[in-house]
Amino acid sequence: MAVKLGYKNVYRDPLGYPEWQKAGLPVATEPMGLCEPAAAAKPPGPLSGWAMAWTLLGIFAGGMALNLTPCVYPLLPITVSYFGGKSGQGRVRLWAHGLFYLAGLALTNSTLGVAAALTGGLMGSLLQNPLVLVAVAAILVFFATSLFGFWELRLPGGLTQAASKSYAGYFGSLFMGLTLGLVAAPCIGPFVLGLLTWVASLGSAWLGFLVFFTLSLGLGLPLFILAMFSGSLEKLPRSGEWMLWVRKLMGWVLVGMAAYFIKPLLPESVSVLLLAAVALAAAVHLWLLDRTPAAFRGFPGAKTAVALAGVILATFLVGDWAWRGPGVTWQPYSEQLLAQAKEARKPVLIDFYATWCSPCRELDEITFHHPEVVRLAEKDFVMVKVDLTRKGNPLHERLLLQYGVKGVPTVVFLDKQGQECQDLRLVDYLPPEQLLPRLSALSKQ
Amino acid sequence: MNIPKKLLLVLAVIALTLGWLWYAHRPVVPQEATMADVRAEAARGGYRLISTGELAKLYRQPPANLLLVDTRQDWEYRSGHIQGAVNFPMEPTWWFRWRAQGRLAALLGPDKDRLAVFY
Repeated sequence: MAVKLGYKNVYRDPLGYPEWQKAGLPVATEPMGLCEPAAAAKPPGPLSGWAMAWTLLGIFAGGMALNLTPCVYPLLPITVSYFGGKSGQGRVRLWAHGLFYLAGLALTNSTLGVAAALTGGLMGSLLQNPLVLVAVAAILVFFATSLFGFWELRLPGGLTQAASKSYAGYFGSLFMGLTLGLVAAPCIGPFVLGLLTWVASLGSAWLGFLVFFTLSLGLGLPLFILAMFSGSLEKLPRSGEWMLWVRKLMGWVLVGMAAYFIKPLLPESVSVLLLAAVALAAAVHLWLLDRTPAAFRGFPGAKTAVALAGVILATFLVGDWAWRGPGVTWQPYSEQLLAQAKEARKPVLIDFYATWCSPCRELDEITFHHPEVVRLAEKDFVMVKVDLTRKGNPLHERLLLQYGVKGVPTVVFLDKQGQECQDLRLVDYLPPEQLLPRLSALSKQ
Repeated sequence: MNIPKKLLLVLAVIALTLGWLWYAHRPVVPQEATMADVRAEAARGGYRLISTGELAKLYRQPPANLLLVDTRQDWEYRSGHIQGAVNFPMEPTWWFRWRAQGRLAALLGPDKDRLAVFY
């Protein structure tokens, strides 16, 4: 890397520090050793870093896909011709109109998102309640049946009419964007409502805003691009029956979300099989049973691709679950256990988790099932798990205070003297390759 | 596409996924990099290697522009490092390299002939 930056005298000592130390050459340690408390702990968030980036990317793609549903798709030509009428005013003003349009769209959706997130503080704690989880899953499935075409979600006629009127000027563009959400509601409504419930479960206004802002960007971008290049309109496939197929696809996405929601309530084997069954059912419904005529050239290919993706997902879920070796054996927390560990001079790992938290599950399913991690843990460590799924256990409340745990997941590392190593503490998912050096540093120390 | 063909396709896809899963789950013994690997990597990266002895010799009469960079994680650095080395934790991903370029350049300074030893 230094070479790429143009430095010429670059060397590497492949044996590095261990050899240097063995040779008795001058070394230094920071006043803060391995296990001193760190200055500031990173605040845990429900979504951060890569998970955040991928989630937003997925939502963006979802927003773009919503353009293909039968309520939005017919709007494309209208919108494009609206912008086409403005094209006499020159490029720059056209861009400005386009941006106002996007802003309007984003405004409606983001308001919804923030509202959901703010009321979500209440919902966040509700979501730990099994009854609520079942209800949310039921709502998702209910909306999915609408997308499958069993019933129709309609807005009052007056509202739809007012919304489809066009207004002049920049305000007009803004207003068209604002109302696109309303006009399109019958189709995108179920998806948006599903997303709203999810945002509410995150309970952060900023995230709520971000999620819905991204969704509107995805929803608006194709329109925006088409409007900028009005000439390309002829190349779009005609609207037709194939859009009903896209609706069904969105319906299956909602059913999948429902299955995911009730995952914490079921034993792991059942929830894995359930998710796999949903993926397979989607593949069968959208591919083998589907009789939608091929409306354009790429359509049969797209159908096959979606179905195969479903099959792959199902195989992957079941296969990955079946293939996994034994995990780390955990013990419940007790003072006695910690005292024993101190006596035996064994480092301790305390995992604070809850079944409804997805990074916790990831930590458990991937990192604490990694064969090397399991081997080290069995050999040198005392592994303790504290289940925070249900609130109100006095012992747990005390531990939360004692270790300053602000959220789940939190993994606390105690060294051989029973002292906490704060700078090793985990508050998010960590892949096994990165956990291993921490473990070996602790056991060697 | 008719049904038998579709089924064949599905079976092929399942087999591929299972094969990949098997590959991903096969037991792997973490391998220590051999000296030959290290040399090949150095040749690819365009830098030279230095042994502990040579480095120690250099260290005893350090030229004015010697810079020792510890590329391990900061907690590893804190628990012990070569005296006088600075810590610059690196991850072996292109994304990290791309992001950290500016910081590394600032650390190494404007002198392109500077003697930099990484470990």
